[in-house]
Amino acid sequence: MYLFSKFELYIKIAVNIMIESSKYHQTETELSKEYGRIEAAKKNPELFKPIYDKYFEAIFRFSYRRLDDKEQAMDITQQVFLIALNNLSKYEYRGVPFSSWLFRIASNELNDVFRKEKEKRTVNIDTVSVHDIMDEIQETRIELYHDKIVTIIAEQLEEDELQLIEMRFFEKRSFKQIGEILDITENNAKVKTYRILDKLRKVI
Amino acid sequence: MKRKVNVNRPEISSEEIAGKKDFDSVIKQFKGSGKPFFKKPFFLSSLVAVTVAVVTSVVLLQNHNQPKPVSDQPMVETDANLLADFYKKEQSKPCVHPPLKGINVEYTVFKVDAQKGGALEFKTGSKLIIPKNAFSDKNGNLLKGEIELRYREFHDAVDFFVSGIPMTYDSAGVKYQFESAGMMEMLAYQNGEPIKMATGKSINVEMASNYKGNEYNLYNLDTLHNNWSCLGKDKVANDMKDEAKADRMQRNEKPLTKQQKRIVDSTSNYITKIVVEKEKKINELLVSNRVPVKPKQSQKTKYTFNISVDQKEFQELAIYKGVLFEVGDENKNFNSSLYDITWDDASLKVGTKKGENYLLTLKKGLKKYEFVVYPVYEGKDFETAKSDYDYLLSRYNEELEIRKQQEKQIEEGYKQMVAFAKKQQEDQVRQWKEQEANQFKQMDNQEKAIRMFTVSGFGIYNLDCAKSYPQGALSNAKLVNEKNVPLLCYEIYLVDKARNGLFTYYKNPVSAFSYNPESTNILWTVENGVMYWLKPEQFNEMKSTSGEMVVKMNRVGEKFTSVEGLKDYFKL
Repeated sequence: MYLFSKFELYIKIAVNIMIESSKYHQTETELSKEYGRIEAAKKNPELFKPIYDKYFEAIFRFSYRRLDDKEQAMDITQQVFLIALNNLSKYEYRGVPFSSWLFRIASNELNDVFRKEKEKRTVNIDTVSVHDIMDEIQETRIELYHDKIVTIIAEQLEEDELQLIEMRFFEKRSFKQIGEILDITENNAKVKTYRILDKLRKVI
Repeated sequence: MKRKVNVNRPEISSEEIAGKKDFDSVIKQFKGSGKPFFKKPFFLSSLVAVTVAVVTSVVLLQNHNQPKPVSDQPMVETDANLLADFYKKEQSKPCVHPPLKGINVEYTVFKVDAQKGGALEFKTGSKLIIPKNAFSDKNGNLLKGEIELRYREFHDAVDFFVSGIPMTYDSAGVKYQFESAGMMEMLAYQNGEPIKMATGKSINVEMASNYKGNEYNLYNLDTLHNNWSCLGKDKVANDMKDEAKADRMQRNEKPLTKQQKRIVDSTSNYITKIVVEKEKKINELLVSNRVPVKPKQSQKTKYTFNISVDQKEFQELAIYKGVLFEVGDENKNFNSSLYDITWDDASLKVGTKKGENYLLTLKKGLKKYEFVVYPVYEGKDFETAKSDYDYLLSRYNEELEIRKQQEKQIEEGYKQMVAFAKKQQEDQVRQWKEQEANQFKQMDNQEKAIRMFTVSGFGIYNLDCAKSYPQGALSNAKLVNEKNVPLLCYEIYLVDKARNGLFTYYKNPVSAFSYNPESTNILWTVENGVMYWLKPEQFNEMKSTSGEMVVKMNRVGEKFTSVEGLKDYFKL
């Protein structure tokens, strides 16, 4: 009993060090629990269920935002978790939420679908977010340029540009999280996003 | 690749998404993926774990009998445990937990006849339309008789704070902060027992709001799961976009209001009064210092009269001794025979040149003679008068110099008073204009609107939009008290005056504390019932850093007895 407790303590200390060195808005307790669950799921896949339950909705919404078909979004979501489970042993904890890894898998799956199945890429735009973009580029003539912005976002942006705008404005993600999902640095995410906003500003 | 565009596609509810979950199917596919069990990741990881456990056991068994090293670790662990217990206790608090004892937004209690229903009006102008037979007991039986409806609204950061209602929204694992167009709580009781809304019934709420944008959704607080459920959109009445713009233009052209004009006028009157007062004071100085009259020597060729004059009446003639009155050249009819007459009466009055000549009237019976005369002095009297004049003139010049200084001082003093009053007046007017400009700026958000929605249950409802934390400066923030001791607090609230919300951070130190440095911010927290806050101006002193930033909080010494008191204190 004593030996097992000691062993647990070593793991706990190691986890704490990693958590403290990371910066994101999940609490330490949540991350610690999540890490424990992933480790447990590596040994027993049935224990992956809490992770599945926790992120199912987020991954579904991520997929559905980029698709027009609800059922297809559901299929991709299931596929994402299957891929995650199959590759769980390769997963390494890097001080970022597990969800970032899942989002990246989802992003790859969606790209595959668009490429292989010629599925139409869908852009779901909400008016409030367009207003946020207008705010960001300091354009107050919303009535005048609202439709133009929508058209540019939908038709003229490159796929990587669209992804950044989607994540930042439509999904309200932090640059850090965007960086984690796209596997780029936070600063790079920020710079790229502002370049796109500059581009928008110039176009309108 | 051509993209399809959907604008404002309806959101899918969390319930619908949750209904599609099928973990068993994932597991089934995973198990059926055909890899031999020894190649499955869980087998390999288990094998590694067992190996590590065996090796660790051996190492630890070898060390088992050795004495334990003495270190600081237990102390650190104890502190960490205490903190963990504190956080655990905080996290286990009910969903709604007012942070300050004795201060909360008060309910307004309405009495409603259950069978008749009715329209109720709240003090803010909000209305509740209650249909007939809208109440039931916990078993679903329709209720009759008097119902007690308790209603309250929350419109700003202090309201949200004192109520203890969470302003954090968890959507699919992503945490948002609410910006609110207004929140309300409605509860119903009969004979002190909580009751429900009857099945199929709903209450229409017309909530007075300061925000008329259409970005807000209606949420209901699920106190059991400690999260908000999105119920859709409300309707906004009084969408006066065009009217508001026209009004704004009119208001821009408008001069000051009557009250403002009154204040400006009173300042102008004050300035005029100051100027008059100043001139009066200066005049007083001049009156008290008259230039002396230079004495003239009598001329031998001219006639003079020696007349005794009332020195009180002619003070200027009392300055020098031995004054005589010389007959001026203008008296053509004067002759020396007049000298021989003994006159019955002689009188003197100020002449054509004030201070220089006089009119002498001589009477004898019915005869009357008038001559213009000049005060003169002769002999020793003249010498003395001349000497007195020199002395008086030098004194006058000295006094004049002093007076000039005094006059200058008075001028300066009043000039400052006038400048100060004028500046105050200008500042006041500028402040009004700025306030007005700010109001115009925020008009789109802050014009009164009536937000209409329907509720089919009692509880807490919020017209909100989910937003991220304010962006700008980012740092890890460690909150300490005035003695640099870290505060033991769980919830830390950021108020960004430009946004109507209460941004809540958890645990001290706050990891990734962000705020908008361009905005006016207030930070506060509660430690053991005592509030600590960071003033807006102190945010300017904070420096964004990638390391940890120590934030020295100010203890709030004041004891609040009302929500309004708290709002006054924080100027919210």
